[in-house]
Amino acid sequence: MRNFQYFREMAMSRIFLGSAMCSVVAILLIMMFLFVGCLPAISEIGAANFLFGENWTPMNTPPSFGILPMILGSVYITVGAIVIGVPIGIFTAVYLAHLCPPNMYALLKPVVNLLAGIPSVVYGFFGMRLIVPIVRDISQILTGGGTGASILAASLLLGIMILPTVISISESAIRAVPVEYYEGSLALGASQTRSLFFVVVPAAKSGIMASVILGIGRAVGETMAVVMVAGNQAVIPTSLFRGARTLTSNIVLEMGYAAELHREALIATAVVLFAFILLVNIVFTRLVRRRERREK
Amino acid sequence: MKKLLIATALAVFAACGGDFAADREINIISREEGSGTRGAFVEMLGIEVTDADGTRDLTAPQAEIANGTNMVITAVSGNQHAISYISLGTLNNDVRTVNIDGVAATTENVLNGSYPLFRTFELAVQDDLSAAAAEFIDFILSAEGQNIAAERGYITVYPNPPSYTASGESGTVVVVGSTSVAPLMERLIEAFQAVNANITVQMQISGSSAGITAAINGTADIGMTSRPLRETEAEQVNSVHIANDGLVVIVNNDNPLENLTQDEVRRIFIGEIDRWGHFLE
Repeated sequence: MRNFQYFREMAMSRIFLGSAMCSVVAILLIMMFLFVGCLPAISEIGAANFLFGENWTPMNTPPSFGILPMILGSVYITVGAIVIGVPIGIFTAVYLAHLCPPNMYALLKPVVNLLAGIPSVVYGFFGMRLIVPIVRDISQILTGGGTGASILAASLLLGIMILPTVISISESAIRAVPVEYYEGSLALGASQTRSLFFVVVPAAKSGIMASVILGIGRAVGETMAVVMVAGNQAVIPTSLFRGARTLTSNIVLEMGYAAELHREALIATAVVLFAFILLVNIVFTRLVRRRERREK
Repeated sequence: MKKLLIATALAVFAACGGDFAADREINIISREEGSGTRGAFVEMLGIEVTDADGTRDLTAPQAEIANGTNMVITAVSGNQHAISYISLGTLNNDVRTVNIDGVAATTENVLNGSYPLFRTFELAVQDDLSAAAAEFIDFILSAEGQNIAAERGYITVYPNPPSYTASGESGTVVVVGSTSVAPLMERLIEAFQAVNANITVQMQISGSSAGITAAINGTADIGMTSRPLRETEAEQVNSVHIANDGLVVIVNNDNPLENLTQDEVRRIFIGEIDRWGHFLE
């Protein structure tokens, strides 16, 4: 009887171990697929030509595979999203954590969570039908041209899409600041706003940074919504009102038709994207670890 | 900042009005690199040029890229100043077509040869075609097969096709090639399997060139192509013409433009003409 129980416990623990290994195996397989897949392209195109080439013309003869426009496109759109989304997100988090009456909180919190659950293709459609036409009219009045599908439209949309991430992580970081900080500041005669922005928010700095980093991760990785509003021109963007192509959209736009070197170049694009996300995650883990150390 | 506010106010105001503003920039919407529709379009209109340096697609770099016919239609229907192109078979009421050289883009005009923009759908096959593959091609060219093509909006090229009867052959047929032909081929395979379960048809979608290559080196029985065979290819495989597909230039429903010449279309897409005012007062 004892033996049976022992065996059962062993078996279960193996099953749990196996489940835990699934993600490890998956990430190893993905990395293997990416790196093996991209090697022929990188060796044929040359790493420098690939990363810093300004022309992406895969169907020309001879073809040209430079992803600098896509790298810059990803960077510009992400920076735009951060500029738009982060201030709104942090202000919302401060409001939710400290200033919000309970009945307002009961409304706001579920709405923010709902924002996180909307599929990105729905965001994309919303952006295509609402944001793009408004940006188009603004751009035609200011610059005399432009389709509206642009860096600005994509940044506005992504700014909205990263809100839930920024809000919920910032809110919990702000709530983790001991209430004595806030009360102490008030007792010293500082106003409520001053106490919040000069005492509480700085104390929650690393948690708020972590929320921004995760927001960046979400913005860099977003595909469907961006494809629908960014215009997708594979040229180095020169203005907020001009379109840009991100690394993710480059892959999803052309994967269906690509063959041979073109396909390998797209896999190599995925490797660059993977490196970006890895970097974002390393920075995030560092920040969280630093906060945990300090809290101890 | 003040300028931006005024612009926003004007933009909201402008969005309410329905009139077409001809002084605006032409918003080119193109398909992505590698798309069969784009390949056929740029080749027919001379947007793609070949010289000593190789072959270059001159589509204007500011052209917005939409991946797929549905995305093109959504983008054009939502943008008064857009212009793009799709296959005649996928046209719907959300957008309107422009006459090319004075000829309306209709199935009849493609059939009688007066509408200039169309491409051929062909199959590349070896001389020693397997009996099963030959039977599948018989089905495609039969009344049943050609009806499916006609129903899907493609233009059939044989006046009185014979009706199909299963001969009792069995085997597997591998079809490889063009993404443009694939939606039609999918329907043909479905219908074929319904009347002849002994022959299994497998389709892989890659691209016209890959399909022809597969037929040449024998990895596929049938290669699908949405462009005519090149000379070097025609020496190694035969082609079977299965249907034609018209290409139409589309604009927004509010756009009053009626007609463009082929050269005007070319100049729009390479960015030489960039204002609707060039055509409209």
